[in-house]
Amino acid sequence: MISKKEISNKEVVQEVYRLINENSHLNAFLTLNEESSIKKAQDLDNNPSDYSLAGIPIAQKDLFCTKGLRTTCGSKILDNFIPPYSATVIENLENADCISIGKTNMDEFAMGSSNETSYFGNVHNPWGDKLVPGGSSGGSASAVAAGIVPAASGTDTGGSIRQPASLCGITGIKPTYGRVSRWGMIAFASSLDQAGPMARTVEDCAMLLNEMCSHDLKDTTSLDENIPNFEENLNQSLNGKKIGVVKDLDLSSLDNSVLKVYEDSLKEYVSLGAELVDISLPNLSLSVPTYYVVAPAECSSNLSRFDGVKFGRRSENPKDLEELYVQTRSEGFGDEVKRRILIGSYVLSAGYYDAYYKKAQQVRRLIKKDFDDAFSNVDVIMTPTTRGPAFEMGSKGSDPIQMYLEDLFTISANLAGLPAMSLPNGSIDNKPIGLQIIGNFLEESTILNFGHMYQTKTNWHMHTPEGLKQ
Amino acid sequence: MDKKTVTTISYLSRLKLDAEKEEKITNDLKNIIEFVDQLEEVNTSDIEPLTNPLEKTAKTRADKVTANNLKEELLEIAPSSNEDYFLVPRVVE
Repeated sequence: MISKKEISNKEVVQEVYRLINENSHLNAFLTLNEESSIKKAQDLDNNPSDYSLAGIPIAQKDLFCTKGLRTTCGSKILDNFIPPYSATVIENLENADCISIGKTNMDEFAMGSSNETSYFGNVHNPWGDKLVPGGSSGGSASAVAAGIVPAASGTDTGGSIRQPASLCGITGIKPTYGRVSRWGMIAFASSLDQAGPMARTVEDCAMLLNEMCSHDLKDTTSLDENIPNFEENLNQSLNGKKIGVVKDLDLSSLDNSVLKVYEDSLKEYVSLGAELVDISLPNLSLSVPTYYVVAPAECSSNLSRFDGVKFGRRSENPKDLEELYVQTRSEGFGDEVKRRILIGSYVLSAGYYDAYYKKAQQVRRLIKKDFDDAFSNVDVIMTPTTRGPAFEMGSKGSDPIQMYLEDLFTISANLAGLPAMSLPNGSIDNKPIGLQIIGNFLEESTILNFGHMYQTKTNWHMHTPEGLKQ
Repeated sequence: MDKKTVTTISYLSRLKLDAEKEEKITNDLKNIIEFVDQLEEVNTSDIEPLTNPLEKTAKTRADKVTANNLKEELLEIAPSSNEDYFLVPRVVE
């Protein structure tokens, strides 16, 4: 429509801001970038661009530093932080001429699975007002699901792209660790964090991923590997391809309706020509406890930078430097962030380091080895993304472990550094749910191919919530 | 995980817990540690720890200046600064 001049880039962007206002009850956005966005749209109207994302409005998770635009990471401690530089991911997307519409709400420092830990209040799931959107990239998922933007950026440390994608009925991919630069991403757990796209379709995710990936000298864990065109293999036949079905996955806690959705998807893949192969991941059940040692340890170290000295909020009138640190951090962090910092300090402290941190890293190797063995025989591994569809706010009670188990199926891909995606594959009580496809190291193209072929046969990804303000 | 341990790790973390939340947080931490204690039962003798999924050592680059000096921009966003330094309460009397 834009190239035919039926609608201008500026009109598209203005429409996005109208939709954001109409749907402000979703609380999906924390900061809008209206003036710059309209200016960029006008520039693109005057000088049309050939770049792949020209004029496409994209919502950016508030975990990415954006030059000159407030970046809070969902935390009070950064509620006044305006970065003097942009994350590499943001630069890559903007260099492809997308329009960064604004910053999306999220769990504080990405620590949460329901968006209930954001300092700026819950994000609402467009599929039901009392429903959580998942987390931590809940604002991004909600904005895409509500049709406000066609795509958004997210980050995933233990499931933070895939779980909200599942709960909001959209598609999201966490790439291989190292595919996307972490420079300018506010660090939570550096050996697990990875950014990726969230959109309605696999095809759109592939288009965004093409721009997000790069080899970045500013991130020492950025991979210097060939980056394929992720759109190229989407339509490859699945004939004879092998899907690993994890036979020791404990599905007993799942509702029958959740199991049926999962099994129906596997049948759909068989009809597409793929073959189901039983595989074993014997240490999979240890992934959540392993994660809750490794991630808090890395978080306690990463979050030591928030001390009220160089940027962000500082407490008022501290009597000395020590009190400045303690008060700034105690006032600035929420309860979940404090819990994880404390756990991290505990497992890293003298006398406990070997028993917890070293032990967890050893189990992490066992989990990775399970995947290495499995991938010698299959092309992808499939599981449900989540244990069920979106739950109601407050329903997990005050026991943090109940919330941690929300990421049961997603965490292992982060521990092993593997690419994984979630795509909508069914509906339970009119609430969407997702299928997880895990790929081998650097095999994003393979999981995108599996995802896209499913979306050529089904239309779950086109379902939208009723009663949206349009 | 008891009150004394929580006091120690709070100090290490430079966090002060609200008195009314201390009991709940202590209890949460106790449950989380009990939950991760299941790792104890796994046989990991002769297993090398995995610190990073890439298992590559950090790459080094040529010692050349590649970033612009953002001194002014960085001092500007600091809670308190003068022309050259971040300012904090006096440390030495």
